[in-house]
Amino acid sequence: MGLLEQFSHWNFYLLGTYPKGEIGGLALNIILAALALSLSFIFGVMLGYSRLSCRMYIKYPCVAYIEIIRATPLILLIFWFYFFLPYLVGGNISIFWSAVISLCVYAAAYQAEIVRAGILAIPRGQLEAALSTGMSRLQAMKSVILPQAFKIMIPSFMSFFVSLFKDTSVTYIIGVIELTQTGIIISQRQPDKMLSAYLSMAIGYFVICYTLSHVARRLEKKIGIYDLESYRPDACRDEYMLLPTHKTGDEEEHPSRICSPKPEFRKDL
Amino acid sequence: MIKFINVYKAFNDQCIPLKNINLEISKGEVVVVCGPSGAGKSTLLRVINKLEPIDDGEIIVDGMHLSDPKTNLTKLRAEIGVVFQHFNLYPHKTVLKNITLAPRKVRGLSRKQAREKAVQLLERVGLAHKRDAFPIQLSGGEQQRVAIARSLAMEPKIMLFDEPTSALDPELISEVLEVMISLVKEGMTMVIITHELAFAQKVADRLIFMDNGEILEVGKPADILVNPQHARTREFVSKILHVH
Repeated sequence: MGLLEQFSHWNFYLLGTYPKGEIGGLALNIILAALALSLSFIFGVMLGYSRLSCRMYIKYPCVAYIEIIRATPLILLIFWFYFFLPYLVGGNISIFWSAVISLCVYAAAYQAEIVRAGILAIPRGQLEAALSTGMSRLQAMKSVILPQAFKIMIPSFMSFFVSLFKDTSVTYIIGVIELTQTGIIISQRQPDKMLSAYLSMAIGYFVICYTLSHVARRLEKKIGIYDLESYRPDACRDEYMLLPTHKTGDEEEHPSRICSPKPEFRKDL
Repeated sequence: MIKFINVYKAFNDQCIPLKNINLEISKGEVVVVCGPSGAGKSTLLRVINKLEPIDDGEIIVDGMHLSDPKTNLTKLRAEIGVVFQHFNLYPHKTVLKNITLAPRKVRGLSRKQAREKAVQLLERVGLAHKRDAFPIQLSGGEQQRVAIARSLAMEPKIMLFDEPTSALDPELISEVLEVMISLVKEGMTMVIITHELAFAQKVADRLIFMDNGEILEVGKPADILVNPQHARTREFVSKILHVH
């Protein structure tokens, strides 16, 4: 099959030409995703929060930004920044930074939506309680709403990070030597081992993504502790399905249901 | 202390929770508001600290005009404690931090000062031993008492109660009412929405009956409960007394 043979290239797959040349391969995917996520985080939070503003001149620019970016394919953004950023900044910009910037622009729009959903998920009474003790809106956001909202957002952020990590593979199109590009280079050098080269790439992505999802699940379980009104993250269908609405009346309540958590409809499941 | 002048509030054409309300509540007075659901009781309470804006008229609280854009809303709200039906404690903070948060942020108390005061208040509502618990670990009655302590920590001049006992088990109601009675004895100005008519009769200086956005009757609780003038009031009182 030749898959084992591919492991002799592990250095190239994982790190590119590093330490002789620039870092690349799978490590570069991780760096790209982490940089994009962290650099765009503050921007995303601000966008998401501003989108909820009552002032139209704050709200609508944010809505426009979020909707336009979310309706554009990432590959187009990457091309766009690759070709037009040098004009905008009036100078050369490295492929790496052009990739990071386009990923940031992309990630900010999605993070903004996660933040907005998180803030809206906090019951209205929390803000009312905070305001009526004399706190300003900003204070209430900072000490009451956001700490709770971030807890809700963590799983979404994790899953967005996983998909952003996979999306970094698109940057190969402008010549970033990340995992996809390394695989393509190797498969071009050994056209007879093309299948195994592509399989090696897949394994690389899978290992990282699966690990991340696993961590996300663990985290989800850990943070849901004090919320007794929610279902456990590992709830299965019987626990959250609605009870049949057409009860005949004379049939008895199934004993297993009497003590089980109250079934109610939840949109987010 | 609180003055409503021709207050009008509408959510839409069908839903007009406040129709030309005129009302004056003086310092130290305890006013109980009752009426069927949808009568505008909650709205009447929520406009006092501008959690809901009004469409017309004027409300003057402690000399501050609510419709005046120059009025400092946070300062006004700091003087008014609100206790909600569903407690609205901050679930991510311990009981003690729930209480110390606002005094520290708004009044600028030090951590130590705020803590001392919170412990005092917790002792007063009988929950000093629960100071490090999270709200979810408390019963409804305990949560509501913490919520009262949280409001009192700001040393408000007025306390508003929005059905403080209607989300509680019958057994737990009295512990909350006891705390409220102690407040009445201190001479706090209070507006209370409740269906506990026996309690109302005991503490209220005035009872207000509302229906459909209007104040139908105002008077001594004993008068209204025993001898209601308005047909709607009579119906309401007889239904409630029938249950009890």
